[in-house]
Amino acid sequence: MKKGKFVGLCIFIFVLTFILGIISKFAIQPSWKKEYSVKWSDEIGTRISDVSYDSGEANKFDLYLPKDNTKENYGLVVYLHAGGFTSGDKKDDEDMLAWLTSKGYVAAGINYTLRTEDNDKSILSQSNEIKSAIPVVIEEAKKHGYNIDKLTMAGGSAGHCLAMIYAYRDAKDSPVPVVFTFGAVGPSSFFREDWDNYGLDKDADEAIEAAAGLFSVMGGVEITTDMIKNGSYQELMKPVSAYAWIDENSVPTVVAYGKYDRVQPYKGSLRLKKALEDNNIDFKYFELPHSGHGLQNDDKVVKQWMEAIDEYLAKYMPVEK
Amino acid sequence: MTTKRYVILGIVAVFGICLGRLAVRALMNLLLGGTLFGGNFL
Repeated sequence: MKKGKFVGLCIFIFVLTFILGIISKFAIQPSWKKEYSVKWSDEIGTRISDVSYDSGEANKFDLYLPKDNTKENYGLVVYLHAGGFTSGDKKDDEDMLAWLTSKGYVAAGINYTLRTEDNDKSILSQSNEIKSAIPVVIEEAKKHGYNIDKLTMAGGSAGHCLAMIYAYRDAKDSPVPVVFTFGAVGPSSFFREDWDNYGLDKDADEAIEAAAGLFSVMGGVEITTDMIKNGSYQELMKPVSAYAWIDENSVPTVVAYGKYDRVQPYKGSLRLKKALEDNNIDFKYFELPHSGHGLQNDDKVVKQWMEAIDEYLAKYMPVEK
Repeated sequence: MTTKRYVILGIVAVFGICLGRLAVRALMNLLLGGTLFGGNFL
């Protein structure tokens, strides 16, 4: 083979293997991940889709009922979807909900009204929708012969934020005891100095205005630049700041956060960790030292996090024998 | 083809796969945050 042809062959092989490398990154997953992600089938149980819990178009939930309906009581796991409060759907978590159902739990994915340019929805309104949904989910399960006696709140990112708000702020109003909360990368506090991922920590007027604007949208309240400057915005943000509701009676918690998160502030997760420590809560906090919002670069830690979820579910919400 | 050329092709292939995987990691890091090295192998 002539040199020119060989160089051409090398370029072809490089391009081909480069594409294979890209595909392999998505296609090849650690074998342990299969343990925590189950494809839904009728063998697992029954799924009841799009049950309304309020009049809003998005106010619907999917209920996953385990095959075995002979037990006296069941634990319910509510898993709330991600999407930055502006996108996502309960269907996104089908594999997680199927996994929970396969373990013997009743599981539910709840939609909430997403923030758009045309509405004034906020974390506050979304958390209140979730609060109003829980009694309806429990009643619906009961209607199908599954009596719920315990509740675990969980979610990813925005869903994790909402799950924590229910677990720490609203647990006292829950029809059944909330016994555990788990999730990943959910924002739990709104301190301007923590939100350096969006540059809100800077002293410039633009940063203060941006903080006032972002926190107003998230909190569903009007926050002015003066409030940002004098710190009084914290009281207004409390209803959506899960960490601020943690006390010595708060539920056991398992969370995971990426140290390089660009979407929600890593520094905020340290406040959550401190609040859990200060109140002697039984918790596990997993820090992924090379990952961001997708927990994408630390599979070993993700495995430990999932094992901890499994362990805490068995400890605080065991499936009846 | 000579043995030397087979070896070169092999090295190019390994290089291509590694760079392909690194490119995905770099893109994900750009969107979500993260380090290029450390943690998972590539």
